Order: sequence, then C-alpha cells, then structure tokens
Amino acid sequence: MAVGIEPLAAYQIVGEEIFLTKYGWQDLLVKMTPLMFTGLAVALAAQMRLWNIGAEGQFHMGTFALTWVALHYDGKLPDGILIILMFVMAMIGGGLWGSIPGFLKARFGVNEIITSLLLNYVAVAWLDHLLFGAWRDPNTNNFPITREFSEAGQIPTFGNTSIHAGLFIAFIFVAIIAWILWKTRLGFQIRLTGDNPHAARYSGVNIRTLTLLVFAVSGAIAGLAGFSEVTGIHYRLQQNISIGYGYTGIIVAWIARNHPLGVVLSAFFMSIVFVSAEVLQIEYGLPISMVYLYQGIILFTVLGSDIFTEYRLRIRRLIV
Amino acid sequence: MDFLVQILIAAVGMGTPLLFATLGGVISERAGVINLGMEGLMLVGALVAFVVMLNTGSYFYALVAASIASGIVSMIHGIVCLMLRASQIASGLALTFFGAGLSGLFGDKLTGETVEPLIRIPIPGLNAIPVLGPVLFNQDVLVYFSYLCVGLSWWMLFKTRLGLNIRSMGEAPEVCDSLGLSVLSYRFFAVVGGGMLIGIGGAYFPLALTPFWVDGITAGRGWIAVALVIFAFWDPIKALGGAYLFGIALALELRLQILGIEISPYFLKMLPYVLTILVLTLVTIRHNRLGIQVMPAALGNVFFRGEKH
Repeated sequence: MAVGIEPLAAYQIVGEEIFLTKYGWQDLLVKMTPLMFTGLAVALAAQMRLWNIGAEGQFHMGTFALTWVALHYDGKLPDGILIILMFVMAMIGGGLWGSIPGFLKARFGVNEIITSLLLNYVAVAWLDHLLFGAWRDPNTNNFPITREFSEAGQIPTFGNTSIHAGLFIAFIFVAIIAWILWKTRLGFQIRLTGDNPHAARYSGVNIRTLTLLVFAVSGAIAGLAGFSEVTGIHYRLQQNISIGYGYTGIIVAWIARNHPLGVVLSAFFMSIVFVSAEVLQIEYGLPISMVYLYQGIILFTVLGSDIFTEYRLRIRRLIV
Repeated sequence: MDFLVQILIAAVGMGTPLLFATLGGVISERAGVINLGMEGLMLVGALVAFVVMLNTGSYFYALVAASIASGIVSMIHGIVCLMLRASQIASGLALTFFGAGLSGLFGDKLTGETVEPLIRIPIPGLNAIPVLGPVLFNQDVLVYFSYLCVGLSWWMLFKTRLGLNIRSMGEAPEVCDSLGLSVLSYRFFAVVGGGMLIGIGGAYFPLALTPFWVDGITAGRGWIAVALVIFAFWDPIKALGGAYLFGIALALELRLQILGIEISPYFLKMLPYVLTILVLTLVTIRHNRLGIQVMPAALGNVFFRGEKH
C-alpha cells in the first residue's frame, strides 16, 4: 500500500504466478536449495548456541574456491573428477572461512557474531577484486563475470526442469546432520554444550575443539550452497551470486528451531518469500531488497509470539 | 605533515557516524540490552534524513525526523525483547533485516538524487590551534553536536541519578526491581534513546559524507559500531577515541587511492572490517588477561520479575 500497489490484486498475481504455473513450482524448489544449505549451516552452529552470521561470506568463499579449480583445471581432468574436486573445494573454502570466527571464539573468546558478520564484507570485496580484475571474462563487455564452465563443471538437472542435483545433495546433508546430532556421541556433545556448557565441560567435552569443528562444518555446508548455485544454475561466478541466501539462513534456522528437518520446511517457506519478491519485481518494479523487510517482520513476529508458546499467560485477580 | 592533517580531518568526518552509533550502543548496553540492529537503525536514519532533506531542504528537520524514526523503529526492538522477552540477539538481527529492507524498498526510487552536504564552519579562535584546530574545530555542525553528545552521555551515565539507575539495570536488574525501580521502563528508555542516537549516526551519511542515495549507504558501519561498543569498554569518552581510530582506517581507504599507491581498491575496502576483527580480538585478549568484569553483568539477560537468576 505504502508503495502505491493494490494489495489484494498483488497477492492474487503472486499466488497465481507461484502456485499455478510450472515455472513457479520449479523456482520455489530452485530457490529453496541454497536456503536449505545456509539454514542448515546456521542451525548446526545454533545447536551449540553459536551464532554463525557469516554464512553469506562462507557461501562466497565456497564459490571462490570452486571457481578457482574450474578456471585452472577445466578440460584437464578426466570426466567426473572436476566436479568432485569443485565440490570438495567449496566445502574447504567455506569451511576455512567459517573456521576464522570459530578459531577466534575457541582460542580467545572473541564474540563470534561480530567477527563472522564482518568477514562477509571481506569475502564479498575479495570476490569483487577478482571479478573486476583477473577473473573477468574478456569476451563479455566488461561485466563482472567469469567465463562459463564446460559441462564437466555442471551438475545435472532433473529432466526438462531447472531443478538441479543440488536439491538432492541438500536433502542428503539434512539427513547427515540430523543423524550426527541425534545418533552420535559428537552430536550429543554439541547439543549438551548448547544446553549447558558447564555440565558439558565437567563431563569431559573439549568445548574449544568442538567450537572450531562446528564452525568449520557449518562454513563448509554454507560453502555448498555456493556450489549448488554456481554449478547448478549459473555455471560461472558472477557478482551478487548470492541474493542474501546466507543472511536468510539465519531466519530459516530460527523458524526451524534449529532442527535440520524443520530447516526443509522453513527453507521452502522462505523460498516463497523470495519468489514472491521476484514476481513483484517483475510485475511492479519493486526492488528485491524488499525480501529483507519481509524477513525482518517475519522474524519479529516469530520472536514476539514465542512468549505465548513458551509461557502460559494467567490472569489472576486479587480478591480483596 | 599536510597529508597527515588531511587524513585526520577526513578521519573525524568518517568517525562521526560511528561515534553517534557507538554512543547509542553504549547507552543501550549499559542498561543491559544488546542492540545488534545498529546497521538497520542507521539505514532507517539515513533514509529518513535523505527523504526529509530532499523535500524540505532543512538539515534540522532531516535530523529530527531521522532520530524520531529510528527511535520508533527501536521501540519494536524494545517491545519484542523487553516486553515479549524474546532473544535480544535474534531481535537485533530482525532489526537489521527490517532496516535494510525498509531503506532498500523506499530508497529504490531515490537512487541518483542528490542533496547539498553540510558545510564546514570553523570555530573562531580554536581553529587556529596547529593540527588540532583544523582537525577538530573546522568541521560541520553535526561533528560539534557529536562532541556535545559524548560529554552529555558521559555526564548522564556517570554523574546523574538517572545514569546510575540505567547502569544498575545492566548490572543487577533484580536488585533494582527490589528497590522499586521499573526495569522495563529504564531499559526501554535506554533502547529508544540509544536508537535515536544511532539514527543520527545514520543521518550523517546522506547529510555530510555521501550526499546522494545509494542502496546500503551505511556499508556495514553499524556492525563496526557494535564492535566499537566493546572496544570502548562501554564508556562514551573511550568511544570517541575508538570511533576516530576507525575513522582513520576509513579515511586511508579514500586517501591512499588519491596518492596513487598501487593497492587494489577492494583490499582497501576490506581494511576497516579486518581492522575491526583484529582490534576486537586484541581487546578480548586484554579483557581476559586483566580478568576484570567490564561488560555489564546482566547484558543480554531476559529479566523476569520475581525470578531468581
């Protein structure tokens, strides 16, 4: 309303575009994929009461690492090896970037919220440095993009759709993390430390090592979001490769109550927000940053309503 | 020498929004409420200041509107994490999203519009002091206002009853409650008051630093301010030094390029963020080594009346 749009008509258009067209459904699943990875990354750290606000930067450093491999070894390796190498590099890139706040937190107790967030800006500037410099494709009118990878550097799509294997990998990782958290000793230690660090310490958990490990794995998963976006959709590295998927991971995890299976649902929900914003952008020319406004309101609403699920309100009148 | 003075002059300008925001953060955190939404509040302040400036041409109205707007937005933070008792960290992040979205949505059509930046007014007499004169006393009105705010907030926090009460809220809210002080009211007051200062910090961007609208005009400075609150040991006077130190880093980013030093501009862009991480690490190590409790003891705690912690 505030931007001069009839709200009901806009809802109708958005609803029709998303749920009644084949492309709408495809887009929902495509956008859901990176959100599952980043949501899972944030949720895993949050299980230990660690705030990983740096999924955006880890996403970017993952794309940096895999693009480096692709640009140097594309066509020089046997089939299938390149894509596996890119997959591993994305995890290493994201994982190392995530290890920085993890290390600083574990070794010195530095506030991980601030460090992980500030590293996002550093990562984006680093990619800009490469995309406006050494990595820019000379054949594309000076756009900040690299050259396209050959088919060896792409993951398959399902049939004729734009849905790619990244979605499949995301589900596998959801299962792996859920299994680790609830079926292994490591997972028990993570959850115990999150619930009661003192009890964890007395029972022999090495919290420092665990902090570093969890941050590294969390970063690696966020790096995979970059892998799925680059090798599944764009087939090249470009500026603004992430439209805030890393930041949205925070909200995905929060709505999911940091449960890996919940992440699937909330990633789908946040995907609806993204696709709606895209429809509004096309139909009404509204900027995509509107997504953040929605997200802020959603998070405030969820936070505000928590009190009613966690506490029972009782009105007692004093009898005089 | 001349180059150095130039850097310092720019550093005070670049440090001023950080200073306002850090002061706001200090007040809020002294009362025990973390505000991670500084970036969002600064963006709201910047947007409102720019819009009002564009329409009225008055710096005063722009400033007042910006601080009121960010005061209102920080009320959401207050309501959610004080009255509805949600996590202060999550609520602050929501505030960041909210501010980024709001300024992105309504600022979209403003891209490319420009306003007249604030002019520098030398203070007669004081501006003749070598080095310090041109650096500190040949600035715009808002910079002088920031000096005033540093003094006032220090005086308020450490020399008045109100400040004592606010600081007690951050140390031992249950004691305050037993003394009959309303924890919620004091904390709410500190959050909104702090939020207004943060909004003024945001307003400084379109009114003085970048007199045109770009999306994400504050470029993560709100997060640097979050770190500066810790760096300043929750003290307004130390906030002044911290803000100008970072101002120097930001000023170098601009000046080194003019000097023709061959560094990628993107590396210079990383400088303030990397510096923040380094400084934060050093400060934390120092905190650990001294073993003293400088952080408000009840910072981030949800207060429940009648519940023992």
